[in-house]
Amino acid sequence: MPANGGTTCRFMRPRALTPPTIQLGNSGIDPPAQVPQRDIIDAQMAFFGTGCIINEQVILQDQEGVLAWVSERLAVSMRQAEDLILRDYIVSAASEINAGGGSNGDNPTNLGLSDFSLVATTLDCNNAYKFMSGILGEDKFGSGPIRSSYFMLSSTELQTDFDSLVGQGVVNNWNYPTNTSCLPSEWGSVFNLRILTSSEAPVARGASANGQDVYYNTVTGKQGLTHIKQDGFSMNLIYRDPMYSGMLAQNATLSVKFAQAQAITQDTAIRNLLCTRLGGNLFL
Amino acid sequence: MSEYSKVASGKVISNRSGAGPVILPFHPQRVEFYNFDAQAVADDNVPFAYWDVSMGQGAAVYQLYAGGVLTTAFTTSGGISTFEKGLLLQFGAKKQISASTKGVTTSFEVTGHGYVNDDVVMFTGLYQTSTSGMPQMSTIPFSVYVVDANNFIVNWNSSGSNYTDLTVAAVGAYVRQVLNPNLYIPSVSFINGIEYGNTTEISTTKPHCLVVGQQVAFHIPDAWGPTGLNSLPNPTIPGSPVYGYVVRVVSPTMVEVNIDSSTFDPFNSNQPVASVPGQNFPQMIAVGNVNTGGFPIYFGSPLYPSPTYLDINSTFSTINGPAIQGAFVNNTSQGFIIGATVAPIGEQSIYWVAYYDDLRV
Repeated sequence: MPANGGTTCRFMRPRALTPPTIQLGNSGIDPPAQVPQRDIIDAQMAFFGTGCIINEQVILQDQEGVLAWVSERLAVSMRQAEDLILRDYIVSAASEINAGGGSNGDNPTNLGLSDFSLVATTLDCNNAYKFMSGILGEDKFGSGPIRSSYFMLSSTELQTDFDSLVGQGVVNNWNYPTNTSCLPSEWGSVFNLRILTSSEAPVARGASANGQDVYYNTVTGKQGLTHIKQDGFSMNLIYRDPMYSGMLAQNATLSVKFAQAQAITQDTAIRNLLCTRLGGNLFL
Repeated sequence: MSEYSKVASGKVISNRSGAGPVILPFHPQRVEFYNFDAQAVADDNVPFAYWDVSMGQGAAVYQLYAGGVLTTAFTTSGGISTFEKGLLLQFGAKKQISASTKGVTTSFEVTGHGYVNDDVVMFTGLYQTSTSGMPQMSTIPFSVYVVDANNFIVNWNSSGSNYTDLTVAAVGAYVRQVLNPNLYIPSVSFINGIEYGNTTEISTTKPHCLVVGQQVAFHIPDAWGPTGLNSLPNPTIPGSPVYGYVVRVVSPTMVEVNIDSSTFDPFNSNQPVASVPGQNFPQMIAVGNVNTGGFPIYFGSPLYPSPTYLDINSTFSTINGPAIQGAFVNNTSQGFIIGATVAPIGEQSIYWVAYYDDLRV
């Protein structure tokens, strides 16, 4: 979002016009004009920040370069905050599909193959754009071609369930013909989904009908979601020398500050596929 | 001279059930308040209270004005507590459900539930037997309407034949509070009833946080009835979603949308217990808005108000700057709450001071 552009980022989404399927005939009279319309999606920029106060004696005497490692922790903290904010927003705003293809009798059930197929079909029916084009098959043992795919972001806690489905349509990433397009966090692929896993993926602990953990698997097409940064304000690492503290200049500060907004730009292109685990909650 | 300490002060109107949330830009370590109107009600009133973080959440030392005599008292619950609303999917402690009663609304008996009106809860394990009970309403977030210390009601029509009262404290039948239900607004709402007509009134299980002009989409599974509301499929323009607009906010849990539902199938919450595994729920989601400006300005209103959201009893302001109505906004916040034990009688003016200290030893 450009600087001096106000508090709210506005997206315009045009509506489809009615396809002209009725022939003109030979009357010479034009059909009535259509009124072009567009929808509006607004997202308000929000600001976040945190920091540490470090006494000059620590900076002076600590042998481990305290400013360096605190800066690193602040940077990680900020990036985590970005992810968590976006994660929680998606949990809050995207519509949900409860998995029903599993066998554990819960609501939602554990993930069954039909759930992967269902959510990909839903996005296909909703004209979502896939993120990745497919990978052509190659003559390598154990590999097979990979379909063009949406992304599904899942919890690492579900990897045991994915493992149990390998060979039934689920493909681990090392069985791809080539891993050129494989992302570091990519677990594998199933039908039209490429599965990315993260330990920070959303989990509602004990929230299923039978009291098991509920995992939010966010499946999205290209146009589903946007993450908006303020121009020139995506991340500020701020160091203030002790000189700017009190009379005796004893305390330095290190802090981070950032701004972001987020919006679901096409609600039909994103779904949270909710599920539980096959064997109950994972003991971590 | 303080270096990094923080102090905030202000006024809040309190009643017997408490006051707040008082939203602050920091998480206070000490809070104190004076009741300016204490002399107005001389019986069992609290003119002053003090809380320190080392006392524990919900504690307070306070003065009690009862029977014309001023005494001091101490509490470990219902005093002053702080909050940090920053993450979703946080839950309170499990509480055993002793019984439930079906009806147009559904009643629950939970000994010492501790909830207040507006709290959002979620149920798990509502089975009377393996094939009966009320598990159909598990996992949905509900606002509670408190009857008394051991009973509350949620707005869910369980009068159908597929629901059975819970008559014993069934193993695994729990309720938990959803701690931060409205961090990002507007959000997904679950539908618990529909009134049909030229326009359609949608009733939700917890506050919808929508405003007039909000653009909404519906996802109604076949088994629940009115699939005509669904944004897709669109038989006229394939792939183009059909949206409705909120034309009236009837209440915090009901909106009127401009979709003619006169011919749609009736809403059916009477889902069989056997369908619970993999059961999907009717949802309404916000997808955009048609508003072009900020909030209306009236006498006495702030000139550049922050976005607000409706809870069951009150309109709350977010801590953001001004925004266009209907925008997606963050509603994360922190601050403190004055609990029922130290809350004065009646609507009285509480002058509070909150502190974050430089040095605690």
